[in-house]
Amino acid sequence: MGFTEETLEKTGQGEPDWLRERRRTAFAAYERMPMPSRTDEEWRRTDVTGLDPAKFATLEHANGHKQETPKLPAGVIFEPLSLAAHKHRQLVEPLLFSALHANRDRFAALHAAFFTGGNFLYVPDGVVIEEPILRQHFSHEGGTTVLPHTVIVAGRNSRFYYLDEYIGEEEEAGYRSGSAEIFVGEGADVGYVSIQKWGRHAWHLADQRARLEKDSRLRLFNITLGGRFSKTRVEASLVGPGSSAELKGIYFASGEQFFDFHTLQDHQVGNTTSDLLFKGALQDTARAVYAGLIRIEKGAARSDAYQANRNLVLSEHARATSIPMLEIDNNDVRCTHGATVGPVDPMSMFYLQSRGIPATTAKRMIVQGFFGEVLERIPFEQARTLVETELEARLG
Amino acid sequence: MATVPKQIEIGSDYKEKYGFSVPEDYIFKAKRGLNPEIVKEISWMKKEPEWMLKMRLRSLEIFRKKPMPTWGADLSVIDFENIFYYLKASDKQSKTWEDLPPDIKKTYDRLGVPEAERKFLAGVSAQYESEVVYHSLHEELSKKGVIFTDTDSALRDHPELFKEYFGTIIPPADNKFAALNTAVWSGGSFIYVPKGVRVDIPLQAYFRINAENMGQFERTLIICDEGSFVHYIEGCTAPIYTTDSLHSAVVEIIVKKNARCRYTTIQNWSTNVYNLVTKRALAYADATMEWVDGNLGSQITMKYPSVYLMEPGAKGDVLSVAFAGKGQHQDAGGKMIHVAPNTTSTITSKSISKGGGRTSYRGHIKMYPDAKNSKSFVKCDALLLDDQSRSDTYPYNDVDAENVTLGHEATVSKVSDEQLFYLMSRGITRNEAETMIVNGFIEPFTKELPLEYAVELNRLIQLEMEGSVG
Repeated sequence: MGFTEETLEKTGQGEPDWLRERRRTAFAAYERMPMPSRTDEEWRRTDVTGLDPAKFATLEHANGHKQETPKLPAGVIFEPLSLAAHKHRQLVEPLLFSALHANRDRFAALHAAFFTGGNFLYVPDGVVIEEPILRQHFSHEGGTTVLPHTVIVAGRNSRFYYLDEYIGEEEEAGYRSGSAEIFVGEGADVGYVSIQKWGRHAWHLADQRARLEKDSRLRLFNITLGGRFSKTRVEASLVGPGSSAELKGIYFASGEQFFDFHTLQDHQVGNTTSDLLFKGALQDTARAVYAGLIRIEKGAARSDAYQANRNLVLSEHARATSIPMLEIDNNDVRCTHGATVGPVDPMSMFYLQSRGIPATTAKRMIVQGFFGEVLERIPFEQARTLVETELEARLG
Repeated sequence: MATVPKQIEIGSDYKEKYGFSVPEDYIFKAKRGLNPEIVKEISWMKKEPEWMLKMRLRSLEIFRKKPMPTWGADLSVIDFENIFYYLKASDKQSKTWEDLPPDIKKTYDRLGVPEAERKFLAGVSAQYESEVVYHSLHEELSKKGVIFTDTDSALRDHPELFKEYFGTIIPPADNKFAALNTAVWSGGSFIYVPKGVRVDIPLQAYFRINAENMGQFERTLIICDEGSFVHYIEGCTAPIYTTDSLHSAVVEIIVKKNARCRYTTIQNWSTNVYNLVTKRALAYADATMEWVDGNLGSQITMKYPSVYLMEPGAKGDVLSVAFAGKGQHQDAGGKMIHVAPNTTSTITSKSISKGGGRTSYRGHIKMYPDAKNSKSFVKCDALLLDDQSRSDTYPYNDVDAENVTLGHEATVSKVSDEQLFYLMSRGITRNEAETMIVNGFIEPFTKELPLEYAVELNRLIQLEMEGSVG
């Protein structure tokens, strides 16, 4: 079987020509490009030899449920992407896949060719939405491919929160993504949270990329819990002076789960700030790979960048690899990074147990405390509660 | 630094003082280029046993097959066919300082070898043009059974010991440049410290490159038997030449149970040298291996001293300093491979980039499944002195063992305005102030050096800083 031109044409049915053409170009790239091999630096520690996306060539459309969408102020556009492509071509065409390039690798191409569903949010200049916009994306069957794509455009001085929740109900393997492009306009303030809870047998490959204009602010939280295999790239380009990106991650892996994160803090201009912290706990035989890069371009003076990855290893057989990298081309900057991998501190355990707290409870408290630092930074209540509940259920 | 460093007039007469080159006078000079005939000729000149010749030829094959590394610095300009692979300055080994050829003595004079160092020169094996020409073993060391000789003599005089260890820590197939070195190696130091013997004075060797387009492929092998201690120092200076030269050394060290070895390098090749060195040590039960590695010179350096922690209780330590000026790329770092449980390691890296120079820290911490309860900590600090310079950090941390602790920290910054203002408000010029700050920045490194080297290093930094900013 596999992905065919026929599938492609069917997927693009009813869409405007420019978008169908774009899908075709991406499909050609998919056909042309080889699978990443372990000689590619990015994939050295990430084994995709067991993955053949063609096995999951049935597409599941996940236009998703709008749940409790607040009454949106006038001028706000919030529509399924395929519909927005028709109605708001001048907005969608220049931005769609401008931050995430289809020809980056085979998986990105597949996503760009066959993205099914996803949403387009446009918030005009000066508009503030107090209630967060919550979206859920479901997959119901095994053996399928589900590729939601989110495009968020924040106008000048706008402010709002957005949550993408990816939920898998099936028990069998499938191919999943959940990518987002976020364009933060001048002076805008965006809070974005994604929670990935695909089924425990799913292959998940997704890219989240943001572009920050002058004096804008983005708080992006990536919560990864699901999938048998999950690889996510979280990237922010600071292109306007005064912009600031807070990139935070929480992951909890158990059983045989494998999580891979590649992050990028791309300071293209000066007076920009980025603050990254990815914290994960690993149980059973789970594995995590983190590789992050802070890139300070030549002209990006007075930039301030922080990058940290902390891994808590809860079992004897869980493993973590952490590669925090810096490429600094300007001297007038402050860049700091750190990485740790380690077990639960025996002193803390002893302290709690000596006060009569059973070992399992003590361990759970320590893990909760470990995540607390990131949890409390999640910008809106709904997402915070949701993540807390999910973590609690998993900690048992 | 507690005291204000005395401003010395180095910058003005750099060329005169360090840019010397004495006329070439060689007994034997192999042809340029690399082929089995040249390798055979080298082996024949050295009157080597058959097994060594075979190993050299096999290594040459490996070198030819291996691709050039595509990561790190750009090595595409190296022309392997345009290099002399062997030179021999005089046909007889000198016995005492007085016997040294006057030209070589003059070289040392011009280098300004510090007084303290001359004192130790009796124990120095000074390498001039690839092969050790001066060698005098301290009587006391001899009595204790310590072997300190050049590697060529070791092959002749201690064949069994030599064959047991040579090429076992860094086999020829390890990487392209290790293969090249094994094929054409010449000179270097060989040290054997018997059980329980502590060598109190540091053993030192001065390496020099002199002929234009000459590669230097020294090979060092250090064996520290159980419970012993040795500190080996190599310092390098090289005259300035116009065409590129290649330095590709291999250093192998074995530190047995309870032993400790410290290996100190101050690398100051002239800025046209490609310095591609493989250094590796094996540390056994409760042994300690310390690499103290300073890189100031060369055009490109790629060097990652590593310690394989083979048995419980082994400890590895890398202290690395890199200074990259105009046109230089220092790609340095360290590797710690934890194989056994309860092993510990630390890497401290300090790098300074100036005038468009680039420093990269590249490190690897690997904890194999058996390395339970091991600990590792890496700290990298980088100082960027101007807006043309660049600094990178590439730390690779792989943990496959249970109950281990691994930490990595790095910062990149410039010389802070507050510090500069503080010093300048006390009447210190900007340049002096910056020099002081840089010397303070690398102090954790300098304080690990013997005094005379620390003084020399501070002077070198001063020299590099001269006329830099402001």
